[in-house]
Amino acid sequence: MADGILDLARAVSAAALATDGVYSLGIGRYAEAATYEGGEKVSGVVVKPDEVEVHIVASYPLAKPIPELAQLIRDRVAAEAGERRTSVVVEDIEVASEDL
Amino acid sequence: MRIFNRIVVVLLLVGLAVLGVYTVVYSFEAFGHQLSDLSTTLQGFTSGFEGFVGDVENGNLPILTIALLVAIALLGLVLLIMELKPPRPRRVRMQRGTYIVPDVVRGEVESAAEETPNVLGSTTKVWAKRRPGALVNLQADVRRGEDANALKSELRERVQQHLAKTGVPLGRLKLKLVEADPRETKARVQ
Repeated sequence: MADGILDLARAVSAAALATDGVYSLGIGRYAEAATYEGGEKVSGVVVKPDEVEVHIVASYPLAKPIPELAQLIRDRVAAEAGERRTSVVVEDIEVASEDL
Repeated sequence: MRIFNRIVVVLLLVGLAVLGVYTVVYSFEAFGHQLSDLSTTLQGFTSGFEGFVGDVENGNLPILTIALLVAIALLGLVLLIMELKPPRPRRVRMQRGTYIVPDVVRGEVESAAEETPNVLGSTTKVWAKRRPGALVNLQADVRRGEDANALKSELRERVQQHLAKTGVPLGRLKLKLVEADPRETKARVQ
């Protein structure tokens, strides 16, 4: 498990991006979705005291329904998030470049 | 409720501004107004109010006044309930810990709608429900003379199936077909 919140955000970001069906991480629709520490930031992951929010852009066409994709992300992220619960926010669906 | 709150605050500020102007005019005895006149004006107002309160206590109110007071009370109650209701969430909840932004749902609804034969274009509005699910208002452009009922049921089925496949829970789907000129729609032929 990661030590600082920025390390945690980086680990969660890497785990989410490695999930099949995730095109990229989102940047937030209504407010910037990012974690800040020591002048650095990790976009797409918001680490809160009891929750980790992962903002994703899903790949189109969807390989599986969004709730299943979210569960896959949660499973991958669980080891990094520890006691914090994981929320997944789908911000967009993008056509993967190889499908263009 | 934001608009209502704004109207209330604007009316309150207008009232305060008018009172301020009156105070200045009467204080400086401008335009022939004397400060002593103000007490006479106020007395007229308070005596009228006292008379009204007396009528309320004695139960001598005209039926129109009673109806007006009941309407004001009901309006107040409705506004209070609306004010106390929690705001609508900005994101559509799919299941515990999974959310989707309404714009994505709108895109999915429109793509399903525009794949339906005889639908030339569509306009969609999506809101998040407080519970899991999305509220969708879909307006589809069709040619004049189409069988509206058959088209509506096909459109509903396609949108429901597409959202179910995507995994977006649908709270309510309102459909409206609009006869449109194909020259002004997204697609001329479908």
